[in-house]
Amino acid sequence: MARRALIVGTGVADRIAAGLEHRFDIDRVPEANAYDLVVWADYPSVSCRPAPIVSLSPEDWANACDRPLRSAIDLARSVHPALATTSGTIVFLVPLMASAGGAGYTALAGLGEGVRILTKSLAKTWGADGITAHAITLDPHAFLDAEDAAGIAADNALHDPPLGRVPDDTADVAPIVDWLASDTAAPLVGSSLVIDGGLWMPG
Amino acid sequence: MSGLLDGRVAIVTGAGQGVGEGIARALAAAGAAVVIAARRAENGEPAVATIRDRGHEASFVRCDVTVEADVVAAVDHAVAEHGRLDIVVHNAVSPPGPPAPVHDVDPDIITAQIATSTTAAHLFARAAHPHLVSNGGSFILLTSPAGMEGSGNLPIYATVKAAQRGILKSLAREWGADGIRVNAIAPVAWTPALTTATEANPTLQARLEARTPLGRIGDPETDIGPVAVFLASEMARHMTGQTLAVDGGRYLGL
Repeated sequence: MARRALIVGTGVADRIAAGLEHRFDIDRVPEANAYDLVVWADYPSVSCRPAPIVSLSPEDWANACDRPLRSAIDLARSVHPALATTSGTIVFLVPLMASAGGAGYTALAGLGEGVRILTKSLAKTWGADGITAHAITLDPHAFLDAEDAAGIAADNALHDPPLGRVPDDTADVAPIVDWLASDTAAPLVGSSLVIDGGLWMPG
Repeated sequence: MSGLLDGRVAIVTGAGQGVGEGIARALAAAGAAVVIAARRAENGEPAVATIRDRGHEASFVRCDVTVEADVVAAVDHAVAEHGRLDIVVHNAVSPPGPPAPVHDVDPDIITAQIATSTTAAHLFARAAHPHLVSNGGSFILLTSPAGMEGSGNLPIYATVKAAQRGILKSLAREWGADGIRVNAIAPVAWTPALTTATEANPTLQARLEARTPLGRIGDPETDIGPVAVFLASEMARHMTGQTLAVDGGRYLGL
C-alpha cells in the first residue's frame, strides 16, 4: 500500500511534491486521518518579496510573518493524530535567511526561524508517539525569484556553492525528504539539515 | 559600568518586573535615562521609583506592546520626556502558560505569544527607527535558549523566541548601513514566572541549577543587566546580529 503524504504550500512545495509523487499518495490539504509524511512550506508571496521593515504596515507584517507562523503552528497541531497513527514524519522547509539573515527579509526570516525551532519542540515531545520532526534549510532560490536570491547571496558574501550548482528541489531535495520519512532515518530526531550545495556552512 | 551610557535614552518593555526591570536598573545605573514601558502602572511606577531613589533618571509610560498607537506613544514619550532615543530593549512577552505539548496549548496563548514577540518587535522597529538612525542606536531583543534548542514544555514560547532571532539577524543586515546595531540576549534568570514555577515545583530550582555549569539561576539586575549595558554601549560598537546566551552556561550549542 502506498504511503500517504500531506504537502502544504506552493512554489517549493509543488516541486517537492513532484519529486515524491511516485513514492506517496499526496494530499495538498489535510483530509486523511493518517499521514506517513507531512511537509510544510506555506510561505505567502508577500513574505518572499524584499521590503525594509519600516515600509511594512502592521497588516503587511501580519500577512508576511505572524499569520503564516500561526498557520504552521496550527497545521502541526492538527496533524498530530494523523502522524501518531503511522509513527510518521513532519518536515518544515526553511529559507537560508532564517539562519543567516537577509536585508529586506525580516518577516520571512522571523517566520522561517520560528518554524525551524518549532520542529525541535515537536521532536522533543512527539518522539514518544513515534513521530519524527525535521527542518531543512534551503538556498534562497527555493523561495525567491532568481534576481532577489542572487542579491541575498551577494549581500551575505556567500561564495559559489562547492556543489557547483543550486540543488534542485525536485531531483535533489525531495529524495532527502523521502529518506527522512524512512525507517533508516528514525534515529535522526529534531535535525536541521542545510541543503544548499555548500553555499552556507554554519559553525 | 557607571557612565557608559551617559546622555543616552532607553526604552525597556516589560520593565515593571523580572528581567526587564533588572535591565532597566542596570541601564540607569550606567547613566541612561530609562523609560519603563509596561502594561500595568502598578508594576511600572514602583520600578521608576526604585531607579529614581538611587539617583538615576526614569519615567513610566503605559504600553501594550501589541498596540501600534501605544508603541508610537512610548517612543514619542521618550523623546518628549528625555530629549532623544538611543536604545530599545524589547523584553515584554505574554505568559507562556502551563507546560504542554504543542497540540494541547491554549489557542489564546499562541495568539498572545506571537503578538508580544514578533508583532511587537516589528512595531518597535518601525517606530524607533528614525530616532535610532539619528543617534547610531542599539536595538536589543530578549530571546531565550529555548529559541535555539526548542522546548518540549513551552513549544510556542520557543517558537516565538526563535522567530525573534530570525528577525534580528535580518534586521542587523538591514540596519547596518544606518549605523544601528541589533542584538539579542538569551537569559536564564529569576523572573516572576520562574519564581512561581519553583514554588509550585520544589525540585525545579535544584534541577535547573544542576544543569547549569555556574550552578545558579541568573539575577536580572546583576547578571543580565550588565550584558544589556555592554550591548547598548560603545564597547559593543562592532557587534551586530548576535545572540548572547547569559544563562550560566546551561546552553552551549551556539
